[in-house]
Amino acid sequence: MKKRTVSILMAAVLCVAALTGCGNSGVETGAETDVTNEADADTDTEEAAVQEEASGDKEVLEFYHGYYQDESEWAAAQAMRDIYDAFAAAHADGNVIFKPIAVENRDEIVSAQVAGGNFPDIVDLGNAGASLAAIQQGLIYDLKPYIDENGLQDAVGINYTQHDVDGHIYLVHDQIESRGIWYNADILEKAGVSADSLTDWESFGEAMAKIRGLNDGSYGYIAGQGSSKMVNSILASTEAGREMLESELTVDIINSEEFAEAFKTVAKLDQENGSEHTTEDNGNLMAEFNTNGTVGVLFNGVWNASGIDESLADAIEPALFPGNVAIASAGGGLAIANGMSEEKTALALEFIQYMTSAEVQEKIFTDVQANPCNVTVDLNALAESSGNSITMKLAEACSQVNSADIVVIDMNYSWGADVNSAIINALMECAVSGTDIDARFEQLQKELIALIG
Amino acid sequence: MSRDKKKTKSVKSISGGTRIFTYICLAWALIVSLVPVVWLGISSLKKDPLARPGFQLPESIYLEGYISTFRDLHVMRYFGNSMLIAGISVLISVVMISMSAYVVARMEFKGKKLVNIMLYSTMFIPATALTYPVYNLINNLHLYDTRAALILIYSCSGIAVSFFVIKNYYDNIPRDLEEAARIDGCGYVQTWVKVIFPIARPGIMTAAVLAFLNNWNEYYWASLVLIDRNKLTVPALLSTFTTSFNTNYNGLFSAMVIIILPPVLLYCIFSKFFIEALSGGAVKG
Amino acid sequence: MGVFILTELKENNKNKSRLRRRRSGFIILFLAPTMAAFCIFYLYPIITVFITSFCKWDYTNITAPEFFGFADMWNNYDYIFHTYPYFWEALRNSAVWALLGVVLQIPIATAIALALSRKVKGVKIIRNIYIIPNMVSTAAMGIIFLQLYNPSYGIINPVIRIFKKEFTDNILLLKGPAFIAMTAAYIFFTGTTTLMILGNIMAVPEEIREAAMLDGASGLRQDRYVTIPMIKGTLRTVSVLAATSGFLLYNEVYFLTKGAAGTYSISYVIRELAITSPRTQFGRANSVAVVQILAGMIIIAAVNLLYGVSFKKKNNRGGRAS
Repeated sequence: MKKRTVSILMAAVLCVAALTGCGNSGVETGAETDVTNEADADTDTEEAAVQEEASGDKEVLEFYHGYYQDESEWAAAQAMRDIYDAFAAAHADGNVIFKPIAVENRDEIVSAQVAGGNFPDIVDLGNAGASLAAIQQGLIYDLKPYIDENGLQDAVGINYTQHDVDGHIYLVHDQIESRGIWYNADILEKAGVSADSLTDWESFGEAMAKIRGLNDGSYGYIAGQGSSKMVNSILASTEAGREMLESELTVDIINSEEFAEAFKTVAKLDQENGSEHTTEDNGNLMAEFNTNGTVGVLFNGVWNASGIDESLADAIEPALFPGNVAIASAGGGLAIANGMSEEKTALALEFIQYMTSAEVQEKIFTDVQANPCNVTVDLNALAESSGNSITMKLAEACSQVNSADIVVIDMNYSWGADVNSAIINALMECAVSGTDIDARFEQLQKELIALIG
Repeated sequence: MSRDKKKTKSVKSISGGTRIFTYICLAWALIVSLVPVVWLGISSLKKDPLARPGFQLPESIYLEGYISTFRDLHVMRYFGNSMLIAGISVLISVVMISMSAYVVARMEFKGKKLVNIMLYSTMFIPATALTYPVYNLINNLHLYDTRAALILIYSCSGIAVSFFVIKNYYDNIPRDLEEAARIDGCGYVQTWVKVIFPIARPGIMTAAVLAFLNNWNEYYWASLVLIDRNKLTVPALLSTFTTSFNTNYNGLFSAMVIIILPPVLLYCIFSKFFIEALSGGAVKG
Repeated sequence: MGVFILTELKENNKNKSRLRRRRSGFIILFLAPTMAAFCIFYLYPIITVFITSFCKWDYTNITAPEFFGFADMWNNYDYIFHTYPYFWEALRNSAVWALLGVVLQIPIATAIALALSRKVKGVKIIRNIYIIPNMVSTAAMGIIFLQLYNPSYGIINPVIRIFKKEFTDNILLLKGPAFIAMTAAYIFFTGTTTLMILGNIMAVPEEIREAAMLDGASGLRQDRYVTIPMIKGTLRTVSVLAATSGFLLYNEVYFLTKGAAGTYSISYVIRELAITSPRTQFGRANSVAVVQILAGMIIIAAVNLLYGVSFKKKNNRGGRAS
């Protein structure tokens, strides 16, 4: 009897919860409720914009971006939304309303639109692959004339070269995916190696062996996803290799000695490092480096600065890949639809200028904690004035990347995500002790030739 | 009283070997289901689940994941949306399917095989092939970014599973009942509404539970046709813990626990009614 | 679908039998909503899949698929059968998962359902607990199992080390074990299947069991000779569903291995070609989709054949009654 009462009670509670849930969302759509939360306030302004659109003859410029996370989970997302909202507010009186919309699955939505010959007004593409089909259909506006006319070359930085497709620029990413390595100085010291040994691949391997030799549960590095960045940076150490990385993948590249050498070097290091420290999902082992401090080296981007646990803040330092190599990719970025009205296009272009302006780029560095694309921003000065230790570490990592002897694109973008994942899978299988690396590489060559066929 | 009597009788009738086998099965069921569930529960209480992994108990109970999920993330809004969307679409699809499954289970007509084949084939069409046509359809109907769009999609997707579950149940109902109803002068529709539907209710509810669970956890379509966060369903709660660079595992695991609470509670409440309805032997005829 | 109803209508008009017309009306009325759902949701995609599997359709012509011409119409199939490196592996894996659904998942689910049907202490609680893992989404389960399989702090490696002291490898990267590990990450969670079987067991009339008991069948023997034959129809249905979900496995691959160590699945390959590849190879993806649809139908036919005998009997009964 008692059980039944309890269960009916729970059902009632649940129903009430559901109803209040609906009720709330119903109320939120009404513009007059007093809202305390900022996200809700955003929606209200959006609603207001929609209402205006319905009543007036103003055009709306919709902007899809991927910063949907709640502020409590990722402050950077809120910082980006603030940047967008400031632009919207500044143009609230214009003839075109700028409407930023946080979209969870924007790559999928864009690809569905592209399949129908459409493109969003402006979108911050996360995945460079999504744009290839759109470019081929002529759906994306060429930004190069605008950049050249307004002298924005420095403002867009690496975008100017990396996103150049036969003299056209279709994407401008306001932040650069910058990668180097992070190392734990305490572990290196314990193993009796200096940070200098991380400057070429041979002594890197020896250093890793010494860390394993400590036998205290520490190990060299987190392999897997990071291993593909190792291949990337070994390739980058020769002139021929750099050319390969910057071009499309061809059969010649697949059969080249440089590629074989890079793959086999990494595969050997990975195998010595052990398959138990190998994972496709980097996040899965990251705590061992950032929190537990049991790993010597982590291959991760500059953003890892914000993930380091306080207790290890003094031990963990950024560095470049051996051979003074950095991987910097524009990746996706902002794209504007072709064929919009003149006024809409003008506002969209102004938005590109706004996003790459020094003022916004500084915010992207200090508040979003990413590497800005604008090369005129003095990161170290900004970091010092902020006085924040995480920002200082980030600035150090960013300036190392920006001033590296060799800066190359991530092959994930130049060769494609399917190729990248085939290489990662092959490396991960090689990490298992006893795997025949030469045989696996031959198999990989076949796979890659088939993939590009 | 009579129930108790039955119980003791059944227990007595179980022989030694059967009893051991039964206990092995039950123990297996318990272990298999508890491993992931307990692991999830423990991990959701750790400050950094990956830094102190496995089944180790947390050093101290850390509830921040739960607190922030409830405080900052509008859990009730997501629950409300999901209840509404999943609830309505289950209702629509189950009524629709229980009608057509009845026809296929009981009537002979030309093209019946084709109907079966059509429904079977729906299970194997990859989502990538459905994406563009469905996206286009929703836009043409001017339903984009509305809850109605998702209700439409959920009502139409997964029809095959519901169909075979419900049809199977109809197959178990003796035909004498309908014949009796027909002799009493009931039409086809009346027979279905008054006689068959009530008897098949447990089977239909099983299909409804399956459909509801699928809709509750569905993320692909939801993220494709809804962009207003005020309308999104519960799986979107999980994605907020994963940024481009990092994952907050404490928050993620806490949210996973929170997400399954409503279906678990609903199931515990309703299983009483429908499993016992089944054992009531309505189908006996 | 319009065709068969039309012919039926014609026939009815000839007969002028009011009853038969009413019957046709009823069939149409009751089938219409489902058929409408099929037509608006699936018909167009299914036709597109079949047609574009013979078309060049990738990033260069995303809005206008282009037929290869009759001489080269099998181009996409040629590519996936002979060149694409993961197709056969994926098809074999998916087929094995479908088979395991029938030969492993269903017996387990049945055994547990039978155990749950006995009135011993605690069954109600176990019945409720057992379904919880099925309420967690497959994506979440993928994330959970990735942690459980972690070589340095998961729960599998310590168990292996009991038998093989020096074992340190990541099982998700070993050919063979990775496949088994991935299978184990979903196959034992038979909560909903067990629920369906249990429902049918509970519906087996008590009199039949009692009659069997008088004949001397009790416990497991009773299950084997009385209960299981009675629930054959349900077993067939759940077998079809288990085979189907095994064949379409995707999230487990995505979260656990991304296809490493020989674990590609058909669904995963389709997505790789259509979405992951920067060249958006829709045409090739759709030729894999055609294989997926046809192979799926064959699997269902095979399962139905397996349970064929009892199915036939029921069909005959159906014919008589209507």
